[in-house]
Amino acid sequence: MGISETYTRGRELAVERPFVLVVAAVLALLGFDVVRQLATPGGLSTARLATYLWDGLVVGLSIGLAGVGLSMTYSILNFANFGHGDYVTSGAFAGWAVTWLFAGAGQFDLSTLLFIGSLSTTDLGVSILSTPLAIVVGLVVAAAAAIVLSLAIDRVVYRPMRDQEGIALLIASIGVALALRYTIYIVFGQRTRGLTDAQSVPELALPVGGGQTLAIGGHEVTLVVVAATLMLGVHLLLQTTKLGKAMRAMADNEDLARVTGIPTERVVRFTWIIGGGLAGAGGFLIALERGAMNFQFGWVLLLLIFAAVILGGIGSIYGAMFGGVTMGLAQNLSLVWIPSEFSTVAAFGVMIFVLLFKPEGLFSGVTTA
Amino acid sequence: MSGEADHREPAERSAEAAGDGADAAAGDAVADDAATGAVRAADAALPEESLLRVRDLDAGYGDLQILTSVDMDVGDGEYVTIVGPNGAGKSTVMKSVFGLTTYMGGTVEFDGETIHGRSPDEIIHEGIGYVPQNENVFESLTVRENLEMGAYILDEVPEDQIEWVYERFPILRERSDQRAGTMSGGQRQMLAMGRALMLDPDLLLLDEPSAGLAPDLVQEMFDRIDRINDDGTAVLMVEQNAKQALRRCDRGYVLVNGENAYVDTGDALLADEQVRKDFLGG
Repeated sequence: MGISETYTRGRELAVERPFVLVVAAVLALLGFDVVRQLATPGGLSTARLATYLWDGLVVGLSIGLAGVGLSMTYSILNFANFGHGDYVTSGAFAGWAVTWLFAGAGQFDLSTLLFIGSLSTTDLGVSILSTPLAIVVGLVVAAAAAIVLSLAIDRVVYRPMRDQEGIALLIASIGVALALRYTIYIVFGQRTRGLTDAQSVPELALPVGGGQTLAIGGHEVTLVVVAATLMLGVHLLLQTTKLGKAMRAMADNEDLARVTGIPTERVVRFTWIIGGGLAGAGGFLIALERGAMNFQFGWVLLLLIFAAVILGGIGSIYGAMFGGVTMGLAQNLSLVWIPSEFSTVAAFGVMIFVLLFKPEGLFSGVTTA
Repeated sequence: MSGEADHREPAERSAEAAGDGADAAAGDAVADDAATGAVRAADAALPEESLLRVRDLDAGYGDLQILTSVDMDVGDGEYVTIVGPNGAGKSTVMKSVFGLTTYMGGTVEFDGETIHGRSPDEIIHEGIGYVPQNENVFESLTVRENLEMGAYILDEVPEDQIEWVYERFPILRERSDQRAGTMSGGQRQMLAMGRALMLDPDLLLLDEPSAGLAPDLVQEMFDRIDRINDDGTAVLMVEQNAKQALRRCDRGYVLVNGENAYVDTGDALLADEQVRKDFLGG
């Protein structure tokens, strides 16, 4: 192991995998600049940097959680489900209607609560600390509603087209997306509504050194904890249970799964159950963290979800998680250098940059399903 | 041609087959002979009782018919090979037995039960295992997970059966946590067989098990199939390595243009001049 050998290996790396070198160089440069800015008096404070990182993680996990379902349905049913964003919205609306009902029953008009209508969110006072039960029940209902919805839509729309090409299914899913979105619009209206009582949300102050603190919202913590738990759950399901292994097997090779005796329709059903459940739970948590939602927030989010899923390698659930967090961090860390109006540009810039060098996405071919 | 009628006059038909065989020249002519005589040569070699019994089977894909009136028998514990030129429908016979083609007529019976028209996941319950030619392992799953999938229809993972497979294919034990996609062609073939053996089937269908293997591995693969057969599992195999396969099997079928052409013991087919000339490269 001499210098020349090291040199040769380095040269091979540079020739065969220039991507790794470019990324390393860019990251090193940015990292160096962050250190420089931190060291500059009056420059970037550690508290601000910590806030960016934390916000990036929160946004990233919420995108990732919604993305897991999208990636699963892609890998097992072989189509990009454009209705996924509206499963997110539907779950959120169902969940929040129930949360409001739980929190405000007796004090407010039932139909106002059920249709998440106009009332003072301060008076209703929904938050994870003041009305934890209502939030938990709402979360469960959000997941359950999205599951029922995705199973019903599969039965009515996708199952009769099971043998069709991915493009036909994709177009059908756009129709499903529109139908869902405007059903919500008709039932709940187009108003962006506040959901939680911002005043009663507890905040945690974490010391980050230099006498500075990072303020962490209770709803952000809820999102991070629940999202991380659910993702861990999906991981364990896929790796250790018979059903999870069958899902991976079917994503890998559907024909072989069939001749092996794996009941493929049952696996499809469970894929919708898990994917739909995560979409609904994700929608509820995103609305909880933001404290507000409207009838098309899932649809707007879908672009970011797709970006994250493609970045991670479509079809890989680990790619969806990783892609989501990458997008979230890129969006927020970019604030160190550029104004916030451009942060989404930065996130998509990172995606395009990665795809230029690894068009199949980061995790594709490494871990499917 | 009726399979029933064939059974009655083996001696006469053998003679007929010999006569026809001498005259036949081109492949098409051989196929025609099949209908009239050559196939009867083997009646003496037919198993007394068939585990798998295919009669007058017509099958194909969608509207396209591939098999015409195919007869085939596999006795309990028998080792049967199907050979023939490319496009003769060899794999289609196997897929038809396993319910993967469009059924168009005739009967397929297994262990006395009619199985034609049933789906693979039903047929697998009857005790038939199938190893496809290509993409026959789950690449992103580990070796052990592939074996577990082979026993999906059971309520619990049959540890003793995994152990049984490991004993026959020790390399799989060594690689049990490795992803199947990272293994060599020969190892994948072993894994594919191991997966199909997880339910301890009475009949194993093998579609070109030696395809794409290096020559020394081909020998090893055939040895392993012998062992599986020695353990009592009947084998129905399609093979490109026709001579090798016929040398080892109990009985062989020659299929041409989706029809039976010859059937006899492996050795008899190897000795048959016409078969050698037309199908075995002289």
